[in-house]
Amino acid sequence: MQRQTRNCFAAASLGGRLHKTVLAVKPRELVARRELRLQSKTRQASCGDIGLFVETHSLTKRYRRFTALDACSLGVEVGEVFGLLGPNGAGKTTLLRLLLGYLQPTSGRATIGGLDCQRQSVAARQLVSYLPGEARLYRGMRGRDVLRFLAEVRPGGDFRQALRFAERLDLELARRVAFMSTGMRQKLAFAATMSSDSPLVILDEPTANLDPSVRATVSEMIVEAKAAGRTVMFSSHVLSEVEEVCDRVAILRAGQCVHTQVIAELRRRHRLAASFVGEVPTVPDELADSLRISRGGHGELIIEADELSSSLRWLATLPVTEIRAEPIGLRSVYDKYHVNRDATA
Amino acid sequence: MIHVLIRRRIDEAKWLLAACSLAMVWFCWLRVWLVSRLDTGRFKEILDLLPSDWQRYTPVDFAWLITYEGRISLVYDELIVVGCVSVWAISRGSDCVSGELGRGTLEMLLAQPLSRRAVMLSQVGVTVTGAAILAFCAWFGTWCGIHTMSAKQVVTPSFQLPIPLPFVGSKIPIPFAEPETVYVPMIDLVDPSLYIPASVNLFAFGLMLAGFSTLMSSWDRYRWRTIGIVVGVYAIQIVVKLFGLSADELAWLRFLSAFTPYEPESVVQIAHQLPEFAWSFTMRQDDGTWIGYGPMCSHVIMASIGVFSYAVALRIFSRRDLPAPL
Repeated sequence: MQRQTRNCFAAASLGGRLHKTVLAVKPRELVARRELRLQSKTRQASCGDIGLFVETHSLTKRYRRFTALDACSLGVEVGEVFGLLGPNGAGKTTLLRLLLGYLQPTSGRATIGGLDCQRQSVAARQLVSYLPGEARLYRGMRGRDVLRFLAEVRPGGDFRQALRFAERLDLELARRVAFMSTGMRQKLAFAATMSSDSPLVILDEPTANLDPSVRATVSEMIVEAKAAGRTVMFSSHVLSEVEEVCDRVAILRAGQCVHTQVIAELRRRHRLAASFVGEVPTVPDELADSLRISRGGHGELIIEADELSSSLRWLATLPVTEIRAEPIGLRSVYDKYHVNRDATA
Repeated sequence: MIHVLIRRRIDEAKWLLAACSLAMVWFCWLRVWLVSRLDTGRFKEILDLLPSDWQRYTPVDFAWLITYEGRISLVYDELIVVGCVSVWAISRGSDCVSGELGRGTLEMLLAQPLSRRAVMLSQVGVTVTGAAILAFCAWFGTWCGIHTMSAKQVVTPSFQLPIPLPFVGSKIPIPFAEPETVYVPMIDLVDPSLYIPASVNLFAFGLMLAGFSTLMSSWDRYRWRTIGIVVGVYAIQIVVKLFGLSADELAWLRFLSAFTPYEPESVVQIAHQLPEFAWSFTMRQDDGTWIGYGPMCSHVIMASIGVFSYAVALRIFSRRDLPAPL
């Protein structure tokens, strides 16, 4: 009992320390520093090499013969927006539910702020605000009462802030939950989740069931949370919004974390489609490491370039008849692990 | 934090509790009114019509059952009284885990820094308090009835002597006069405190049923299935008890029914005829001769089953996986 109490205090103070540390640094500075750190780490990027605020070590969840999550190891840094991508059944929600202590892992462990998600679940949840994939609220309560209840039940809950978020999301708070649409319920739960001052926000498909304009507001609010120094973890099927707000994403497939991608790195990479007159040129040695060349349809060459300027300089020396440049985007990374594999299968 | 949760639980349960409490008070009051309307002699005539075998189905003698105390004690075996407590216990108990899981609200609740123990104990606290309130309402309704009703009695007119005579007293019945109907305040005939042990018995019954419902709910994810299992076990236990009462050869079956200790009439009879044993575990005569188990045994057996069920339910709930709502 005493130990548990000590742990609670430890968690609260740890959460507070993390928060203060992050808030003491200006958001821009913080982002720049993190970019640098992440760039250096990208070279050795594999799932499980980075870990500060949220860490999982060989986390596995099996239901008899079905493996929902298979030895997943990953880490989320303080102040980072971390995305989880994968098709239905890839293990995103299982991972989040293991972090919240809803599920007991078959093996492995997970920590939030250094606190074990199973043995110190309450203390760990003190550091987390969680929005479930399909938020179910007390149907008999009015929207305002839901916000008040969730603000009161959590230490550090802020009812006024929840009201402000609700107003921003254009919510009708006098209506009972039972008479709200799925999207409205989702917005209500989102407002409640974002209003607390917890250092970590976990959002399970927050924009599912929302219209495009509200999706934009939700993305804005996630970016604001990040600017305030909060760490955000969220799963989604919408690649564009993940690309827009995330610093890093993990791609899950059949319960395994198959790839982590730093979005800043992805933004630097481009795909060039070029048509030549004559023979296919030989790539200069100095560009060999940063270019990947393949043959596309209509006799084009598809060049994936890490560094656009040097590639364009080289292309300018060649007899190119047509050239198109476009950012690589998360889609191509995602497809590499899902669509292409499915096609092969 | 926990007080917010308890307030929420009260909010969820208030209408059911209010309806059950109202039904309980009103019905118990009405039942005393019915007893007051029916003359003891008439009730005896009704009982005389019943086959003698029926005696085995009641834990008390018919001779005591025709008294006002005995007839009022039957209120605790009435369908409405047992039904209200059962509805409360099963509905609240089944809601505890599988109900909340099914609705999906448990997920949102456990996203907050609340332990599973706190979530369950807040439910348990409200359910047990509700069962206690219902048991009190049964007694309160009876108390109101006894204080507000007058029993109709047919008496032979008598002549009051100025000085009492030996062996006869001061009242001499007038044999040729027409019998007359008089109304005697019920409070002069029955002591309402006799029914406190019966209310405690009812509370223990509610605790047992709520504990068992919570136990079933703690491992399940569908509330309808939890209710189905509890009602099924309830029916089986009643049938087992009835079989146990129906024949001497099957008397051992009574020990297999958790409902056997629920005997409010017997508890009231002991409080009425052997008041010194109203709150005892065992009953012995002055010379140490064994009479039987006391009413406290019945209360404690049922309460223990309830508390044990709650303890197991808490253990299961604390360790189980919580699936995503469907």
